[in-house]
Amino acid sequence: MQWEDNNLSRRDFVKLLGAAPASLVINVEKNGRRYAKLVDTSKCIGCRRCMSACKRWNNLPPYEVPETLVRDMDGTTYTVVNFKRSSRDAEIGKFIPWSCQHCIKPACAGVCPVTAISKNPVTGAVVVNEDKCIGCRYCFQACPYKVPRFDFHKRITRKCHLCYDRIPKLKPACVAGCPVDALDYGYRDLMLRKARQKAQLIKGYVLGEQEAGGTDVITILPAPPEEMGLIVAPKKVVNEDIDKVRISFSGFTAAAGLAGLLYLYSRFGKGE
Amino acid sequence: MEDALNKNNRLAYYYIWISILLSVILIGLYGVLMSFVEGMEILEFNLLIPWSMMISVYIFFVVSSTGLCIVTSLGHVFGAKRYELIGKRGVFLAIITIVFGMIAIMLHLGHPERSAVYVWITPNIRSAIWGMGFFYSFYILFIMIEYWLLARADLAKTANTSIGWKQVFYGLSTFGMRSESEEAVSRDHKFAKIAGVAALISGLSAHSTLGAVFGHAEARAYWYGAYYPIYFLLSATFSGLAWLILMTVATYKIKSEEMPEKLKKLVFEMAKILAFLLSVGLLFMSYKMGFGLLDDAKAKTIMLFINGPLSVSFWGFEVGIGTLLPIIMLLISVKRVSLNGILAASFLVIVGLFMMRYDFVVAAQVYPVFKEVPSLFPALMEIFVIAGIFAGFFFVYTLAEKFLPLKETEH
Repeated sequence: MQWEDNNLSRRDFVKLLGAAPASLVINVEKNGRRYAKLVDTSKCIGCRRCMSACKRWNNLPPYEVPETLVRDMDGTTYTVVNFKRSSRDAEIGKFIPWSCQHCIKPACAGVCPVTAISKNPVTGAVVVNEDKCIGCRYCFQACPYKVPRFDFHKRITRKCHLCYDRIPKLKPACVAGCPVDALDYGYRDLMLRKARQKAQLIKGYVLGEQEAGGTDVITILPAPPEEMGLIVAPKKVVNEDIDKVRISFSGFTAAAGLAGLLYLYSRFGKGE
Repeated sequence: MEDALNKNNRLAYYYIWISILLSVILIGLYGVLMSFVEGMEILEFNLLIPWSMMISVYIFFVVSSTGLCIVTSLGHVFGAKRYELIGKRGVFLAIITIVFGMIAIMLHLGHPERSAVYVWITPNIRSAIWGMGFFYSFYILFIMIEYWLLARADLAKTANTSIGWKQVFYGLSTFGMRSESEEAVSRDHKFAKIAGVAALISGLSAHSTLGAVFGHAEARAYWYGAYYPIYFLLSATFSGLAWLILMTVATYKIKSEEMPEKLKKLVFEMAKILAFLLSVGLLFMSYKMGFGLLDDAKAKTIMLFINGPLSVSFWGFEVGIGTLLPIIMLLISVKRVSLNGILAASFLVIVGLFMMRYDFVVAAQVYPVFKEVPSLFPALMEIFVIAGIFAGFFFVYTLAEKFLPLKETEH
């Protein structure tokens, strides 16, 4: 019989069936590693195929290169590559692919009034639900990297979503499009290990390990971000809920205090 | 004869005023239309500064609304009898300020129609904007009820004593409750107090959350912290006082009516409080600027005010015209019992506040995005739309002054 051919008795098969849900759980725990994107600037040749791959996969209109040649993200350009030189040592210069950093604890998702932004804790993608976004642009203010951009045609916020419709089965379009393996997507711990090794080798810096409490895009930079002219995020979770409670509470306390003052004024104020 | 001439003159001025307002509203509507035809970006002077004029005008109006609610609550919520005089005008102004504030924010939002739905279906209680929308929804409802209760007896009176369309209009506006009896009025008063308490609670909550919208933004060093939720309450109170003084005194002046003695006394009392609160505001401002300079994260932004592109607006409008000059003018005019003086001073306060809101919103967004400070002057279409919003505000007030009971009466 076939079962026996596979060395699997019927009894074992039933046992296995019973154990299936449990094994799923075990599998998740064993495999519950999160994914991340790795950007290795030491390999990037500045061909900008990631930009065009992103455009093609997401059906976005072509990018008009500004006269300054400094590319910036906009409502329909999720990722850009710019050549940056270190402010300390002019010899250090690299192409730096830049897009949403996909924070592990995204501040943008925390401030969106209609929960249009969500974080997938496994694949790492921070995604704006385009059918829900009301276009208030509060996420612009919350983002430590100032990434979100407004699409004035669709009247919504748009940004890199790490090709949430491809990952983790397929790699994000930019990663798939990179001809020199400067971009990679895989288990975060592996990516981080790779990044640390490389950074040690080139005496560089690993961006995304601690910035904004850790991000799911890890970038190997030749020098610290402030030197490379990038926006520097604090090395802690931005906009933690408890901090918001503290600030709101101070406002409510002041409001209660004001009400008390009004009461006192109307009771004891003479009005002359 | 002279009276008739005067009356004719006044009527002519009235129509000139109305036509000016209507033409400015048309300019504003043109801006709104163009923003639909050519894209929303024409309402943004710099695409990397996501919040600009619309947000600052929104804040300007809603802060005034809460302030008006706070000042009027002294009367029928806290029971300081003399403040009941200004109840109707104050609450009505609170309604139109918040309505025009909401119009400004609607023009900022990409999809205002979605916000009305998703705020309720998929709320995010961690978001200060959500809290603000939630509380302000109730606030608008409560102040409208409050005004209706305060005005119902007057509306009923007009309905009962007039004929034709007037009777129909005022009759409908009372929702059929046309009793003028003392009993009905005291019942109105009781419910107005309840509505007033509800409006004050929701208004203060909404307002603290409005401050928190900015206070929560850790990535914007200038806004971040507990300062703004608190300061907004203070500035709400003085903007409410300034609006009330301005609109009350201006209305009496323009209609050349004699102000009742009690009202005059109250206006001068409010002027004194205004002067006091402005000086407290000055303390807050110096604290913010002084300590901000010591903080590396904020210092650059604060230098925009002190020595940068916003310095004229800061020293000239916020500090000079908006605070110091009015304090001096108020103190002198209170001493000399000059209504003109406090009228001018309260107008200056409003102008200063307007500039303050704009500077506050825009300045915080310059760093760290820009390496060099860009021009912070609003775009032409922004100015058109804002002018339209202000004209709309004064237009509604002018009509209301003619058709609705706003006049100071004692209960």
